[in-house]
Amino acid sequence: MEEAREEFVEYYAKNMGGVLGWFKARVYTIERWLYGAHRITGILIVLFMLPHFYSTGWHPGLWGDFILGIIVTFHIANGIRLILAELGFVVGKPLLVKKPSQRPLSLEGSQRYLVALALLLFIVLAVIWAYYALIVQAATW
Amino acid sequence: MRESTVMFLHYITAILIAVTGLIHLLANNEPTIGPLIKENPVVYMGNMAIFLAALLYHAFNGVRVILIELVPDPCWTKWISWAVVIIGIATYVVGLQVLLVALGLV
Amino acid sequence: MSTEAKEYTLPPEVLEETVKASEELWKPIKKVKFRIYKYNPKKDYAPHWEEYELEVSKGMTILDALLEIKGEKDHTLGMRYSCRMGLCGSCAMMINGKQMLACQTRVIEAAGDGDVIELRPLENFPVTRDLATDFTSFFEKHKAVKPWIIRDEEELDNPTGPYKQTIEEYAKYYQFTDCIKCGACLSACPTAATDYEYLGPQALAQAYRYLVDSRDNGLDERIAVVDVAHGCWRCHFAGSCSDVCPRGVDPAQGIQLLKGLIIRRKFGFKPHKPTEALPAKIAKKKEQ
Ligand code: SF4
Ligand code: SF4
Ligand code: FES
Repeated sequence: MEEAREEFVEYYAKNMGGVLGWFKARVYTIERWLYGAHRITGILIVLFMLPHFYSTGWHPGLWGDFILGIIVTFHIANGIRLILAELGFVVGKPLLVKKPSQRPLSLEGSQRYLVALALLLFIVLAVIWAYYALIVQAATW
Repeated sequence: MRESTVMFLHYITAILIAVTGLIHLLANNEPTIGPLIKENPVVYMGNMAIFLAALLYHAFNGVRVILIELVPDPCWTKWISWAVVIIGIATYVVGLQVLLVALGLV
Repeated sequence: MSTEAKEYTLPPEVLEETVKASEELWKPIKKVKFRIYKYNPKKDYAPHWEEYELEVSKGMTILDALLEIKGEKDHTLGMRYSCRMGLCGSCAMMINGKQMLACQTRVIEAAGDGDVIELRPLENFPVTRDLATDFTSFFEKHKAVKPWIIRDEEELDNPTGPYKQTIEEYAKYYQFTDCIKCGACLSACPTAATDYEYLGPQALAQAYRYLVDSRDNGLDERIAVVDVAHGCWRCHFAGSCSDVCPRGVDPAQGIQLLKGLIIRRKFGFKPHKPTEALPAKIAKKKEQ
């Protein structure tokens, strides 16, 4: 009886978010969505990559290629933003004077424009890829 | 290796992948430039070797990062890192060999 | 001449206005349902939820409401608070799914258009009872990054004078000194949802705060603590820590700057030369 209780306590008292906690983005800012998406696209690319070179040049088909391209372009566009931000280039400088309810500069300063740029780059790359994969490539198949 | 070295290389390889991956894509699919790249085995193979190495480093380090966040026990962290290094190097060797065979060089 | 102090009263029209404003603030205007997480790991198998209905006014904070519930409806409710003014960092909890200070959040604002408020203990912290969580490992992580000025022992034992600091040097770290260790940031961080070894935004921001302090001389010593498998590189800039920080500390910014500093350190960069203490004579002269 006591053992069973301990198992419950082990789970509930630890109170950890778990893997689902990674993707709890609803109440936070857009960066949290991008973080979740970056992680998922990364895993998907690895899953594609392994069969692609264990059996040389395997492809997931016309639509598979299209979706894969979208995934990769997102990872590239957001990756550029992450490299810039994580090396401390666009997150702004620490403040000396704060407003009464100061919003974070690293999110709502110039980094917001970088988010917009990254999403724009994603859309541009994705459109180019869609044109290439669905029109140019399909003609040669 | 210090964690900062690992992650710095993670960023460097990211940029390398973007460049070499584009060349890889063009070589295999672009009707005009593609054959020019493929004709030259040094360029093609060199690009492939760098692309493969960078891709494997970036991918397996990414997998390692996710795994050690998932299983944060310090003992496991060590084993995960070693397992990832060994699988990564093995995959690189296999990948290069497959490539050489496919090109008819071996 | 009388020595008695004259009684001071507000002018009648100001007094009337003040009384009216405060009546307005404390007049019950809405019924709000509180769903509160109840769990005692020493007794219960699993947590359960309990509901309380309360008449709330415009000026009422979540902490006021909790105190009223504790006083009048359920005195077994476990929670932690102290200053009631956002300075001690005891009362952080999940209010409708987001980390906030109970004493800094008004019920009306938290409820918005709806009339249900859900209160949970901080996620990623072990539950002690109901809304109170265990901060032991959080404080240990804070201690691990050596949150003090590192100087030569010899020099500290035989001080010669104060350390001079310009306003620019002060501005580099001032923002991070506002941290009240409420734990909201670690609770919001996605990495901490699985990685209990992760140092966390609070500790890493403090590491940066001491690294760039012009008096500090512990550059490599402190970098060795944060530049590890579960250190600053497990931050992926999801930004949730800065989003929830009630003091505008912006830990995400500190961590990204810290990473940039560590990378530049690899190429021989140093953020500053530790300032020399002013010799006693000059210091004395300046005082005069
Ligand atoms: S950084 Fe902000 S959220 Fe984190 S403990 Fe300090 S005050 Fe709280
Ligand atoms: S910015 Fe880093 S430390 Fe802050 S919540 Fe995101 S991952 Fe966690
Ligand atoms: S009671 Fe001190 S911060 Fe809320």
